[in-house]
Amino acid sequence: MTTLSVKQALNQALHQLMAADDTVIVVGEDIVGGAGSGSAEELGGAFGVTSGLAARFGTARVIDTPISETAFVGMGIGAAATGLKPIIEVMFCDFMGVCFDQIMNQAAKMRFLSADQIQLPLVIRTSMGAGDSSGAMHSQSLHGLLASIAGLRVVCPSNAADAAGLLKSALSDPNPVVLLEHKGLYDLETDIDPALPAVPIGQGKILIEGAAVTLVTVSAMVHHAVKAAKQLEKDGITVEVIDARSISPLDSDLITKSVAKTGRLLVVDEGAAFGGFADMVIAEVAQKAFPHLKAAPRKITPPHTPVPYAPSLEQNWLPSTPDIIQGVKDLLNA
Amino acid sequence: MHGKLLAIYNDALRIRAFEKAIGVMADAGHVPGLVHLCLGAEVLQATVCNALDSKTDHVNGSHRSHGIALASGASPFKVAAEILGREDGLSSGLGGTQHLFAPEQGMASNGIVGAQVPLAAGAALTAKTLGTHGIAVCFFGDAAANQGAVLETMNLAAVLSLPLLFILENNGYGLSTSSSYASAGVNLTERAKAFGLESISLPSNTITDQIEQIHIAINTVRTESRPLFLEAPIPRLTGHYHGDAGNFAGDTDTVPDPLLLLREFLDAQNIDTASVKEQSSTEMDEVAGRALRSQAPSPQILDTWRSILGATE
Repeated sequence: MTTLSVKQALNQALHQLMAADDTVIVVGEDIVGGAGSGSAEELGGAFGVTSGLAARFGTARVIDTPISETAFVGMGIGAAATGLKPIIEVMFCDFMGVCFDQIMNQAAKMRFLSADQIQLPLVIRTSMGAGDSSGAMHSQSLHGLLASIAGLRVVCPSNAADAAGLLKSALSDPNPVVLLEHKGLYDLETDIDPALPAVPIGQGKILIEGAAVTLVTVSAMVHHAVKAAKQLEKDGITVEVIDARSISPLDSDLITKSVAKTGRLLVVDEGAAFGGFADMVIAEVAQKAFPHLKAAPRKITPPHTPVPYAPSLEQNWLPSTPDIIQGVKDLLNA
Repeated sequence: MHGKLLAIYNDALRIRAFEKAIGVMADAGHVPGLVHLCLGAEVLQATVCNALDSKTDHVNGSHRSHGIALASGASPFKVAAEILGREDGLSSGLGGTQHLFAPEQGMASNGIVGAQVPLAAGAALTAKTLGTHGIAVCFFGDAAANQGAVLETMNLAAVLSLPLLFILENNGYGLSTSSSYASAGVNLTERAKAFGLESISLPSNTITDQIEQIHIAINTVRTESRPLFLEAPIPRLTGHYHGDAGNFAGDTDTVPDPLLLLREFLDAQNIDTASVKEQSSTEMDEVAGRALRSQAPSPQILDTWRSILGATE
């Protein structure tokens, strides 16, 4: 075992993937950094995830682009369709608004529209999440929006092992995969297998077993949920915490089996309050595990507003550990 | 050269015969949805695709790409069956007229105006990265020239020095809107020059010059591995879609029919064009008849795709 942050694990996985296959390229804004300025030092991307790649693999395979998301995401799709394995970095998932046609109409639909004549070994890495006063256009969590589009796979790792492992699976998947990395987790360190084994897409993970409530969550909220569960355990309430990891496809079997055991569902998510991941999970459970439910499923999400800027407002906006503890207690009293 | 011109004429004639056969089937109610015919663009599309190597080159077209598919070597029967939404189509009827995919011929088309242009940059990047000496070609209309996707890609291709040939099919209209209304500033060739692209505007009246300049442009992109922009004036001989009355069109459509120009040139050289004309009509009538006999796709195909895409339902 070794101790790595999410950022370090992603970086090492990128090094491994590029070393193993000459057709892997990495493309994005400032992923090398300093292009055209004669700077000798690599920036390695806005969050440092691509650090050292250009020095090792050259700028023919690690490509800095103009700020033109439509053009370079589209270029990645076209390259994936013709023989390369591109890993494209979109600096913030908020910027997908700029290039949404290429994601929604081009990447997501090409395999289907070509009747499987074309497969897309394409990964779009992007960041997500609030908590650092980046404001409403650099802080969103758009995993639910992306998961509603048929043809895309969407994953949200909560730790270093899952980040590296899901990246590996994403690149060998014949479908385009969006990997959403939470900004607040990049420096989170955990003990992981240095080989960074692949983590299958579509499999959730039970982090804590429990009997009273099934708590489904993802990304940074996983850590609040685990803290809440540990607190509740002191009061004799055992919560089964599931890290969904994959938004689409969702590990619906794991969730419904857990609900069959506990009879109660709470979903905690940083995404949309309406039409987002939390609603998707509740709809799945309502359809597939209704007879097991002892109470109506509940969700804890931010309010349905853009992300506020002021630190006090933003912290209020985000679900917190006390919110989750209260949510579990309310659900048990329902 | 005359042999090459006759080959281009033959390919262009086959496209026109194909499009006419599609029009007849549309009039009879066999084509679901709207269909955009490429009448007027045949010689351009045939000239370009004739000069490409399907093993290394890729071509991405717009919603008006039946001709590009045929000229790239896709089976006319499979293209027709796709347009009709039948199981023998290129994509078993999943794609349709605007979404033609023939990867073995290096060809794809697109339903979003201008969206094919960044994708072609990707094919050019693949050729450059793998060192195949291949090139990518993107066709787009004068209306697409105002899309951010196209303008961004002109810049990106120049920045990365991609072997990408931009071909602007200027037929003067985006649906009903005239290019003179929709495109501000300098003309579109001058606009491309601003990105540092070598930019060529083809003459509309001298068909052999057009063909020669296209060949030179393709050769330049390939040998010098850099992007190049070509503006080709073409007439839109039908409306935006087949059956469109086209009442908006004014008297500005003065671009002559390139197919007619090419035939006149060949006739003047005493080259027999009558027999190929008859052959193309016979071939495409037979293709249309066969496509009409193809079955609708099996409903099970959607179940297959649900499991392929691994959706949660």
